[in-house]
Amino acid sequence: MVIDFSPFFGAQSPLERVFEAIWSPTLPISQRPYAYPPLNISEDQDRILVHCEIPGMDISEIDLSLTDSSLVIKGERQPAKGKYYRQERPTGAFQRVVNIQSPIDRDKVSAKMKDGLLEIVIPKSDGAKPKKISIDIA
Amino acid sequence: MSDIRKTEEKGFPRVKPATDIVEAEDGFYIYMDMPGVSKEALVIDLNEDEIKVSGRSAYPAPDGEKLIHVEFGNGEYYRGFTLSHIVDKSRIRATLKNGVLELHLPKAEKAQPRKIDIQMG
Repeated sequence: MVIDFSPFFGAQSPLERVFEAIWSPTLPISQRPYAYPPLNISEDQDRILVHCEIPGMDISEIDLSLTDSSLVIKGERQPAKGKYYRQERPTGAFQRVVNIQSPIDRDKVSAKMKDGLLEIVIPKSDGAKPKKISIDIA
Repeated sequence: MSDIRKTEEKGFPRVKPATDIVEAEDGFYIYMDMPGVSKEALVIDLNEDEIKVSGRSAYPAPDGEKLIHVEFGNGEYYRGFTLSHIVDKSRIRATLKNGVLELHLPKAEKAQPRKIDIQMG
């Protein structure tokens, strides 16, 4: 299994991914040149949001763990039973690691899943928020 | 309202959803990965032997958030299939769960294999 320690692993520009998809549509997840599942990371003042496209999985099947400076998303997609005529959907084990540099509020991290879209909300701890300091002029 | 029209005018990239076609004992199953598509946004058209599936994923627009890293976005899924004659079209069922559309295409009764009794003369 390929373990990528950076969210910027592999070919991630949209054009590169289009080419990869044309050349190798049915490779198992572990042999794909780009990271799976695709992630979007965004932030605002109070929190970091990680969105992730994982269709066909229940939230109970996804293993989320939070270490000191990273968030790990792990799981395995199972193939259906029967005789395959065509297989394009990836199967196999996957893992992605998101490095988090800023201090976070570990106890308030939450995750939810809707229509195959996983959303993880990581609140920033008070120390990470910018503070205004007022200067009194004597 | 104007916002919706704006996104429609712009148009999302059209994507062929990744699809598995599997034959099981009780018929064929088509699985399609359509993350982000809600039940309301999914359209399945059956016209004679053609089945057409289309849907639009609608992710909430970032509200005051700064995007740091982007690997996926909104898309319009579209894919069509031609059905075999052995599929019983009146009993096709579709279920959408966790972003995967499952189409169950049962085989018609007459297509089921059956044993032929041999009578001794």
